[in-house]
Amino acid sequence: MNALHESVEAFDVDSVRADFPLLERSVHDKPLIYFDNANTSQKPASVIEAVDHFYRDTNANVARAVHQLGEEATAAYEATRDKLARLLNASSRDEVVLTSGTTQAINLVAYSYLQPRLQAGDEVVVTTMEHHANIVPWQLMCERAGAKLKVAPISERGELIVERFIELLTPKVKLAAVTHVSNVLGTINPIAELARETRKRGIPLLVDGSQAVPHLKVDVRALGCDFYTVTGHKMYGPTGTGALWARKELLRDMPPFFGGGEMIREVRFEGTTFADPPHRFEAGTPNIAGFVGLGAAIEYVQALGHARMGAYEQDLLEHATRELKAIPGLRIFGEAAHKVPVISFLIDGAHAHDLATLLDHEGIAVRSGHHCAHPLMQFYGVPATLRASLAFYNTHAEIDRFIAAILKVRTLLG
Amino acid sequence: MADSALYQQVVLEHYRHPHNRGSLDACTHAAEGANPLCGDRLRIELVVDDERIGALRFNGEACAIATATMSMLGELVRGQSRESIAGMADRFARLVESGDEDRTLGALNAMRELQRYASRRKCALLPWATLRAALAGEAHTTTEAESA
Repeated sequence: MNALHESVEAFDVDSVRADFPLLERSVHDKPLIYFDNANTSQKPASVIEAVDHFYRDTNANVARAVHQLGEEATAAYEATRDKLARLLNASSRDEVVLTSGTTQAINLVAYSYLQPRLQAGDEVVVTTMEHHANIVPWQLMCERAGAKLKVAPISERGELIVERFIELLTPKVKLAAVTHVSNVLGTINPIAELARETRKRGIPLLVDGSQAVPHLKVDVRALGCDFYTVTGHKMYGPTGTGALWARKELLRDMPPFFGGGEMIREVRFEGTTFADPPHRFEAGTPNIAGFVGLGAAIEYVQALGHARMGAYEQDLLEHATRELKAIPGLRIFGEAAHKVPVISFLIDGAHAHDLATLLDHEGIAVRSGHHCAHPLMQFYGVPATLRASLAFYNTHAEIDRFIAAILKVRTLLG
Repeated sequence: MADSALYQQVVLEHYRHPHNRGSLDACTHAAEGANPLCGDRLRIELVVDDERIGALRFNGEACAIATATMSMLGELVRGQSRESIAGMADRFARLVESGDEDRTLGALNAMRELQRYASRRKCALLPWATLRAALAGEAHTTTEAESA
């Protein structure tokens, strides 16, 4: 038996499931099968308890009170910055800006880093498989500056065509923005390879890590990118939490995005001096309890182990893909060689929303729609897909029930 | 599926074998209703004679809820005036929100189940919006106001 199989067997999914209280509930009198993890993940009890404990025992504002509670709240909040820095292998905690999620992180880079540098005739490069959050902020910047948004194409299998991406990296390009993992296709992009090319040309590379961090061990230094974004609620933490990691030298030169409390050094009506990064970008009272919960989520995942979790998820992906492909008339969108357990599909003659509603009646939560990726839907020529997105707490038995339910509802609509 | 009241037999019957599918050789009014984010697209053609609907046909591709509603409403609106159709459309909108029975709407009462499915109401409202657009001389309409 090889090491991979040992690690898969060592993964005790029943005990993991017991850590997630919501997984016990029923929907329409059927045991819930939660396959909408790419939308938002469920939270382990340790995260829920950390948030609860914070409000019961520690609640105070951060970085502005000398009293005991203020000290404790600040320490708990700042501890999550340390945990994120370690999780991402950042070279310093000061490279981690806490945000409300990836959308805010990308907008921060768009307004604070790119806008002052972007001029008429310049270019920004994205890919066909981006989420709207990694398209629209760049589009807004380009429209204002008279710059151009260029799109690196993907193959029918849902893989970025790397040569075409490289071709677009001209001296006019002021930034490239690529998702680490596609929220629709599950594709894992070869970020290290792309970063080698952008670095060679002095082009900063932003990586949308929203869908990657829940599944993969991310090392920003090994990837070699310049900006990396994190979404807390997809990685088993609370909503309204996330982060931007950026190289220290990039953050140092970025002006504030929001103005307010906590981001200043001294305020005078003649002019204000600003705090150093990362606090320069954290105006106002943050989602303190949420970040305390995010810290607990990071601890949870690290205790579980990315290698064991990843091997088990690959096993689920392989099982679900094999079973889905055996269904006549079912088409899978995204068959990249390297994927996380996210599977988009359609069935001939059945409308995605009808299937999703009927699967809901079977207790199965999947997403139907465009998944905030209109250009990708346009590429495949479909208005919407169904998406089953799995996490390490899903089981092979759930996949079997899911397949049986698809066969049942397809007959109904056929 | 007995446990899926929204997709009850009468709805599935209308979806599989919709009434009034096709097109008219000559129509006085027509409109297209589309919810592009869902992928629903319906075209309604009418003959309005003496201010009343004489003939109605539809074509296009849509989900079971939109298609069944389209099929069911055709039976109801024939011979009706614009005012009466406007009243029916408003009563249907109330029916899908409240879930309360409305005997004037006949088979469409199957859509009362949409009371529990706010996200799917726009599917059932699309045929009505398309019909009203056709009568108002508007070529296009949608019931999608989705944030994405």
